Amino acid sequence: MADYQLFIDGEYVDAASGETFTTTDPATEQPIGEVAKADRADAARAIAAARKAFDEGPWPKLSGAERGAKLNKLAELLEANAERFAEAEARDSGGTIKKATFADVPGSAGALRWFARMAEERPNEQVLEGSPFPPSENYVRYEPYGVCTGIVPFNFPLLMACWKLGPALAAGNTSVLKPASYTSITALMLGELAQEADLPPGVLNVIAGPGGTAGEELASNEMVDKVAFTGSTEVGRRIMQLASGTIKPVTLELGGKSANIILDDADLDIAAAAVLFGTFFHNGQVCESGTRALVHKSIYDEFVSLLVDRAGKMVIGNQLDFNSDLGPLVSRAQADTVRRYVALGREEIGEPVCGGSEPEGLADGLVTENFYRPTIFAGVDNSARIAQEEIFGPVLCVIPFETDDEAVAIANDSIYGLGGGVQAGDVERAKAIAARLQTGTVWINDYHMISPERPFGGYKQSGIGRELGTAGYEIYRQAKHIHTNPSTGRDGYMHFAALSGNI
Amino acid sequence: MRITASARAAEVVAEMATRRAGTLTVTIGTGCCESTAPFLYEDFLPGADMAPVGEVEDVAIWAPEYLRRLYPGDQGPRLEVADELAESLSVETELGVRLVLRGTGLDSTGEPEECAVSAPPSGPAVQRSVVGRPPPELQGLRLR
Repeated sequence: MADYQLFIDGEYVDAASGETFTTTDPATEQPIGEVAKADRADAARAIAAARKAFDEGPWPKLSGAERGAKLNKLAELLEANAERFAEAEARDSGGTIKKATFADVPGSAGALRWFARMAEERPNEQVLEGSPFPPSENYVRYEPYGVCTGIVPFNFPLLMACWKLGPALAAGNTSVLKPASYTSITALMLGELAQEADLPPGVLNVIAGPGGTAGEELASNEMVDKVAFTGSTEVGRRIMQLASGTIKPVTLELGGKSANIILDDADLDIAAAAVLFGTFFHNGQVCESGTRALVHKSIYDEFVSLLVDRAGKMVIGNQLDFNSDLGPLVSRAQADTVRRYVALGREEIGEPVCGGSEPEGLADGLVTENFYRPTIFAGVDNSARIAQEEIFGPVLCVIPFETDDEAVAIANDSIYGLGGGVQAGDVERAKAIAARLQTGTVWINDYHMISPERPFGGYKQSGIGRELGTAGYEIYRQAKHIHTNPSTGRDGYMHFAALSGNI
Repeated sequence: MRITASARAAEVVAEMATRRAGTLTVTIGTGCCESTAPFLYEDFLPGADMAPVGEVEDVAIWAPEYLRRLYPGDQGPRLEVADELAESLSVETELGVRLVLRGTGLDSTGEPEECAVSAPPSGPAVQRSVVGRPPPELQGLRLR
């Protein structure tokens, strides 16, 4: 039996094949446990359970208040188990225990509570203006789609799971989630909470396994009504193709290469911290990381010095130690990707002004090759590969600019448009720049501040649709227009006027 | 841009060709948790801005204009194999491996031919414990 089983139809089960895969602690590369490895058949089994729960079960028929109460219960249980979830998340993903404790778990509970509130407060019906001829009474019913699948990445496994299941369930859908193979544990643990909260069987299902089989099934199966995905742009494109077979709507939150603009009137002390936090939080393994710092030329040298000085003060080490600011990257392959891009930067730009190697002096037992120092390349041209491609690692490109127009042009010169920042003294000037940025979120004098009530998503090749906010709830419902003609005689209908009184 | 493949990558593509009935395509994609990476798909429809940049085991490798512009020469990156159950919808993940892109595309002559990622470890599970306490400045943090 696997240490971490699939959660299907209200029960924990092994994969039909009996196969498992080993999940490891990326800091030590030691195994954490065996995870049931779902294949296409397991995915189909989970989808069938969700289908049955939607078509025959009570969930979609419950009132919004009743569904909201269940989601609030899930949030309450998550908070009651916060330490256990935070530890598991940090151990499995390499994210620090600080991140897990103060972002992942409370952010997940917060998302569940927000969507509980949406279920309670957003109207299920809305009266529309009628018409004089033909007379009509009109309203819209907002209804769930049915079975919604969610495929989530390795960087925020629990949080992303709740961003998917929260709105889906709140709106009356049923859900099948697939976390990333590197980081499956906490999403699978949500099944325990679903059992304790007494969610009807099949309403929430969680499977782990290869995207090439289980993931394909979640995106293409004809019993699935909607697909939501967070991850790479190329997989998003693939999901659109797979989902097109039965015209499933998709929500995609994809890549980014966000710009953080530092104006000449910014408080440099705060702005430097915003750039470091915006780039190096979770080793840059964050979709909206501000990995291009656009710095006004008049403050450029001073600002780069500040960044270099402070980047070297971040504590790299055991992700389970509350003193660590940065842990390992999620895997050796991810660390190798970072090394490849730093080599590329060295060839294209020159030596980084800091970082550019693995840290020294890590504690015994930690695998040095899986850690990487915060790395800053200065004097980068925006056309460089390290400024255009998303590295998903702790690598910052500093790019000088002279005018606000130039900063906007550089920021928008990307295939992506997910996040971005403006660090400024004059907030009105920053807002004027924000209005011109082709990106889904702009933080002024801040970064990474994502909250359940505020929409999040991308422009351009960063995605389709929005998560969180009211938009992130409504995207899980479809509108049905009901038109009633109250007439009792032949005069009240268009049929006769449009065709003939003889019909 | 010209993309080549290591012998191991060619073996993986060949194995998947025996497992999938449809037409296989390698597409070089970008973004988010996989960075720029190769994706092996069955019956994939390349986008309008994509063009062939190589071939492995009779399977065409495609890349978008955006990447071809970034890697204009012939000494492009190459496909290799990581022995990890990485995340992707790339079909070779069913083998427990993942195609990866290695080499800078500028001067890769000194780099190893094969990816250095080793096979996952086996043995008893090790659950390391948390060290220390939450910093007081974060204890007042409230995420809604």
